[in-house]
Amino acid sequence: MARIRIMRVVTFVFVALVASVPAFAQVDLNGMYILRMHEDYLERGPGSDLGDFTGVPLNDEGRAKALLYTSDQLSMVERQCLHWSPFITMYRPQDLRIWSDADPNGRIIAWNVGGAHLQDVLKIWMDGRPAPSPNAWYPSGGFTTGKWESDTLTTRTTHLKTTQVRRNTGIPASDQTTITAHFTRHDDYLTIVVIQEDPVYLTEPHVVSRTWQFDPRGSQSGRRAICDSATEIPRLEDSGIVPHYLPGQNPEADHMTRNYNVPKEAAMGYAETLYPEYRKRIRNTYVPPASCGRYCCGWIETQGVPGGAPNVTCNDGGFAELGPRGRRAVDQPSTAK
Amino acid sequence: MARMLGPVSRSGPRTLGASLVVMALLLSLALSSSVRAQGRGAQGRGAQAPPPTPRATAPIDLTGYWVAIISEDWRWRMITPAKGDFPSIPFNLAGQQVAEAWDPAKDEAAGEQCRAYGAPGLMRGPTRLHLTWLDDTTLKLESDYGIQTRLFHFRTPTPTQGARTWQGVSAAQWIISAAAAPLGRLGQGEGRGGSMKSVTTQLRPGYLRKNGVPYSASTVFTEYWDVHTEANGDRYLVDTNIVDDPVYLQMPFVTSIHFKKEPDGSKWDPTPCDARF
Repeated sequence: MARIRIMRVVTFVFVALVASVPAFAQVDLNGMYILRMHEDYLERGPGSDLGDFTGVPLNDEGRAKALLYTSDQLSMVERQCLHWSPFITMYRPQDLRIWSDADPNGRIIAWNVGGAHLQDVLKIWMDGRPAPSPNAWYPSGGFTTGKWESDTLTTRTTHLKTTQVRRNTGIPASDQTTITAHFTRHDDYLTIVVIQEDPVYLTEPHVVSRTWQFDPRGSQSGRRAICDSATEIPRLEDSGIVPHYLPGQNPEADHMTRNYNVPKEAAMGYAETLYPEYRKRIRNTYVPPASCGRYCCGWIETQGVPGGAPNVTCNDGGFAELGPRGRRAVDQPSTAK
Repeated sequence: MARMLGPVSRSGPRTLGASLVVMALLLSLALSSSVRAQGRGAQGRGAQAPPPTPRATAPIDLTGYWVAIISEDWRWRMITPAKGDFPSIPFNLAGQQVAEAWDPAKDEAAGEQCRAYGAPGLMRGPTRLHLTWLDDTTLKLESDYGIQTRLFHFRTPTPTQGARTWQGVSAAQWIISAAAAPLGRLGQGEGRGGSMKSVTTQLRPGYLRKNGVPYSASTVFTEYWDVHTEANGDRYLVDTNIVDDPVYLQMPFVTSIHFKKEPDGSKWDPTPCDARF
């Protein structure tokens, strides 16, 4: 009997130890993550400058299509959510909520990634299911499978709808786009690397990486609601009108050169401008702008010290004129008798 | 239950002993698979064997030539923006004031033209990196942008006193993936998966960006280094950055930077520091 008891104890300890090694999820991604808008702030915050294709390796067709864009397009119900594809939003300003689906045995069969305003939840299938036919329906979230590579969740997405890559610029992504992504969590930081390949509009993969921070309070929105669209300009409704610029007539095609002295080819997103050797070509011609025109007060407004603070002369784009709730003084209810 | 245990009681002490040995072996493997090691991995493997070096236990291969892909923040990273143009930096008021006083001529006169090439600024620069092992415990990072060298020390005690430098003192450790280490392959280094974490201190005050965005001598620069290999063979090095500066920042400045592996150093182009471009 003593031997049996020993065997029971040893077996129990062994099973407990082996069971404690995660078998299906190497890293627990569950939870909410707050954005850290410390890179590409304009794109993720107030919106990119018009005609800013810097850093995107567009081909001629992609560039031409992007230059047809006018922000009036966003007034059309059917185009309002064009730039909220779930995967494109991986590099947008979204707080993220990630949760898993498990089968009755506790085995994780899918991860879900949600964020505010997305067209859909990104569902990452972990059960090895085959990809649907290329002729199958293309849902808003596409079709995504995932696998663990060491402590990184690597995913691949196909069946994406046509979308726009960078907000406010019209940079297109075709429905032939495939996305590979790497989700890696280090301590409280979640870094997502997105590699977009598009044979229609890109000359090489477009790579971005973003980092979010775990929010233990779960206070981020991370809502799963889809992008809502509504008629904003009634005259466009059922009119068949698609706002656009004709080729060669986009008045903002040189916006980046006009305002920031960015060389035209860099503003237009040629792949060679993404690499260090490009600096050699512009070394003797590039001149920094004489002064900063807008968004020049950094983050000090969050401390309640706009551009008028002592020893600070920044141009804050007019924030200093705004009241604490963003209303100009003249708009404030008067308390004077 | 008694029927289930029957074979054990019938087979006698020799079988029981063998079972215990097998279980002990499995237990030791299960325990060792969850180890996080960084150069101290030899502990418990016997006093006679020399400890495996950090180079030998590297879970990922960081060596080689890597080129920065400037696909984000292009006009703040590839070129020198206007004075005062620094959205996205979580400055406090002191940081804003220092940044607005930026004067490259003054930096040049003071011999401080490398201020934007200190480790926290350099990593977001338009650079190529060359990573090699200096010895079994030290990884060397060189940049052609500004011709800088940083050493990652896995074992050497980190000095707490001494001259501050642009690249500071970097203490490194491997974060070896627990779940990815298959039983029977422990200790084989490459292939197990993982990442490198480094913490850099002793930094000489410099710039996060070329146009005078400051970081102070109190900065602690933490990085996580990962390598991803794509189906087509492309390899990406991803450096997640956390710049923690209590003097000039409201909160840690968090970014991630990606580099692509190059086959050789044919595009390596050493260029000295430049305070203006």
